[in-house]
Amino acid sequence: MTDWPPLLALVIAVPLTGAVLTPAIGRGRPQWASSWALLTMAVTSVMALLLIVRVAEDGPFSYVVGGWDAPYGIELRFDEFGASVGVICLIGSLAIMFSRRYATHAIAEARIPYYYALLLLNLTGMIGFSVTGDLFNLFVFMEILSLSGYALVAVSGEKIAEMAAFKYLVMGAISSLVVLFAIGLLYALTGSLNMTDITLRLAGAPAAPLAVAFGAMTLGFMVKAAAFPLHIWLPDAHAIAPSPVSAILSGLVVKIGILGMLRMYQIAYGSQAIDMTGLNSVLMWLGALSIVMGAFFAIFQDDIKMMLAYSTISNIGYIVMGLGLASTYGVIGASVHVFNHAIIKATLFLGAGAIIFQTGKRTLSELAGVGRAMPLTVGAIAVGAVSIVGMPPTAGFLCKWYIALGAIQAGHPVFAFALVFGALFIFIYYIRMVNAFYFRQPEDPAILEVGEAPLSMLVPILVLASLCLVMGLLGRIPLSFIEPAALRLLAPLGGG
Amino acid sequence: MRRALVILLLVAVSLPLLLAVSQLPPHGDPDNPPHVHIAPRYLESGPEEAGAENVVTAVILNYRGFDTQGEVTVIFTAMAAVVAVLVMGSTGTAPAERSAAAVPVSVIVRFIVRVLAPFIAVFSVYVVLNGHVTPGGGFQGGTIAGALVIALTLILSEQDARALLPRRPERLLQAAAPITFFVVGIAGLVIAGDYLAYPRTEALRWLTTIMLTVVELGIGVGGAMVIATIFRTMGADR
Amino acid sequence: MIAALWQNLDYAASVALFCIGLYAIITKENLIKKFMGLNIMETAVFAFIVALGVVDGGEAPIMGPGVEAPFINPLPQALILTGIVVAVSTTALALSLVIRIWRQCGTIEADELREAE
Repeated sequence: MTDWPPLLALVIAVPLTGAVLTPAIGRGRPQWASSWALLTMAVTSVMALLLIVRVAEDGPFSYVVGGWDAPYGIELRFDEFGASVGVICLIGSLAIMFSRRYATHAIAEARIPYYYALLLLNLTGMIGFSVTGDLFNLFVFMEILSLSGYALVAVSGEKIAEMAAFKYLVMGAISSLVVLFAIGLLYALTGSLNMTDITLRLAGAPAAPLAVAFGAMTLGFMVKAAAFPLHIWLPDAHAIAPSPVSAILSGLVVKIGILGMLRMYQIAYGSQAIDMTGLNSVLMWLGALSIVMGAFFAIFQDDIKMMLAYSTISNIGYIVMGLGLASTYGVIGASVHVFNHAIIKATLFLGAGAIIFQTGKRTLSELAGVGRAMPLTVGAIAVGAVSIVGMPPTAGFLCKWYIALGAIQAGHPVFAFALVFGALFIFIYYIRMVNAFYFRQPEDPAILEVGEAPLSMLVPILVLASLCLVMGLLGRIPLSFIEPAALRLLAPLGGG
Repeated sequence: MRRALVILLLVAVSLPLLLAVSQLPPHGDPDNPPHVHIAPRYLESGPEEAGAENVVTAVILNYRGFDTQGEVTVIFTAMAAVVAVLVMGSTGTAPAERSAAAVPVSVIVRFIVRVLAPFIAVFSVYVVLNGHVTPGGGFQGGTIAGALVIALTLILSEQDARALLPRRPERLLQAAAPITFFVVGIAGLVIAGDYLAYPRTEALRWLTTIMLTVVELGIGVGGAMVIATIFRTMGADR
Repeated sequence: MIAALWQNLDYAASVALFCIGLYAIITKENLIKKFMGLNIMETAVFAFIVALGVVDGGEAPIMGPGVEAPFINPLPQALILTGIVVAVSTTALALSLVIRIWRQCGTIEADELREAE
């Protein structure tokens, strides 16, 4: 087949090649690196869009690299969950645009071409992860995105950044290793690395290796997703990274852990070889704990980025809980929240980054009153805040509503309470933030003198903020888009 | 006390693992799932279909070539990461003198490295080019070459060591492996109809061999450059 | 279970190595030693996967005159070649971070670093 499906291979290969060429192109000319990165992502975004349109019309499709048949070659499989490439390309491109000014301020000049290269490699890794249907290929892309992530946290050169990056690296490396071990076990049981093939061949496998394989995989992906209690690497890493990097890490990279779990569930449910209810209960409780603990800690943070980092942990809790509920509404709500939270968190982090760039300050107490000086930026942050609390008609509302419905549908209404509880906490700290920005008297009157953020930073922020509203108003669309995938996932369980 | 807790944790971790491992199909049994499913096809048809007698190379470059493209990207990412973390830029230190506390390199080391260097260089090229008929391959050969550069850097003076690696095309050479893969992949798309596909007909066997060799060389050069760069960046500006 | 373990001794040895590496990561304070523990764990997983490919009495999977079945499974070997590269990459980055931490904090012992925070 020579028309569309090779696009699946190209949507990975193009940003990959663009990434490795970036240091060569940007040698001595950092702005060229920025433009080249943006160009690469623009081309990739077009390809991603074509793929999403195709899956929306015709359903999942696949392509085997090298012209072999699956499972002898590596199969790339695009289903509705793979549509995350869309949000990856979108947020990636906007983060690169934002970096144009931001990077020259935050990062040593000689490092800038490599910064863009690492950004592109991170995005490539995530795109590859979303699109592949082969477990070992999944591992390779996971490593690409993880390694670039560790480096991006440390790239600013500050002392705390390097220590945060080291902690992130050690926990990330252990989790990757654990996932590799699980892949080895599944290979030993089935002789295959292809996800659909494994699903078909797993029935009748001995219980202990199966349980350890799925348990290990869950453990590994939960560390990547920063689910409680494995979240300890996240607050420092996301708070200290340069803001466009924080946007990508909190918005996209942690979601890779979730996507990994979805792939694992596709194998687990599809093969009907193992009963996941025990694991699911654990996930429901851990998810609920994440929601409450993340939000609770966020309330006490003064540094805006730390607050946002804990908020990420809380929101991942929603998603993990939704997956654990294993009901149609729960899974749909969780999957769509993956996208929505990405957009909302990116808005918030980029907005925070703009404020830090203009004022040089990071804490709520120091930034009181900044809303008057930077109305557009803080306005966008306010929109993001309303979305993340989950008020209609913004993006956050529908998916949280769906997860709550999913809790009731699964027969565990108590978790719906956890959701509401968490929302209340989230409401508290975001009100704190909005209040500080707009209504408090500035501690330092110089705050009122700073200008609005530069255009290359303002445009991405406003685009994302408007998307928060748009995704809320058009919320039905992503929900119905994901629905076939969720139904297919849960079908072997006998219906949602 | 703390040690006891750690031991307890390790026992708790190892027990389910040991249980799982004991229930796996018996080690070495030729009827195990991995030996009856995909591997027989690779072993039987590998040399004809994939163009390499070394079936491992056939798997790496042909059947699962995309994984290898990912692998060379991983090592490139590591290099970019090391540079991004360590390089300081125009405010960086001047070319460092080897620190006074370092043990001077002995005459024996100098002599042996000098004598062996050309042989090691030839060997690395041999390993790269023969990867598809003997154990070896692009990355293995590239590592040998990279190790040679490291050994030479130890015994040569600062300027001579820096002259070992070409300065101008340096960044392109570092990216040589992923770029080679992309070029061969597109060539495969054009010639054989699929990304990273190699022609499979008897008539075009020569083309397959050429493409495989090009990929091996790309991986070799890229791998050597990346390893040398990582070493240089980590050892620079003391 | 002990009998089954004896038969799968290679796998059990990998599990033991894995736990030794985990012990090193948890108990050692020096950052480089922690990282060596990680390397030991990685080696354990690689050894496990390669051991999966062994066939009793098998030859190396390189075709040529005179070699005959059975052959050792080539697939795990291909996987581990990639795995080793990944492990090397992670180690390179980790060591670079250690170099930077050393330059900025003067120490690479985790307890001293915790106190300095």
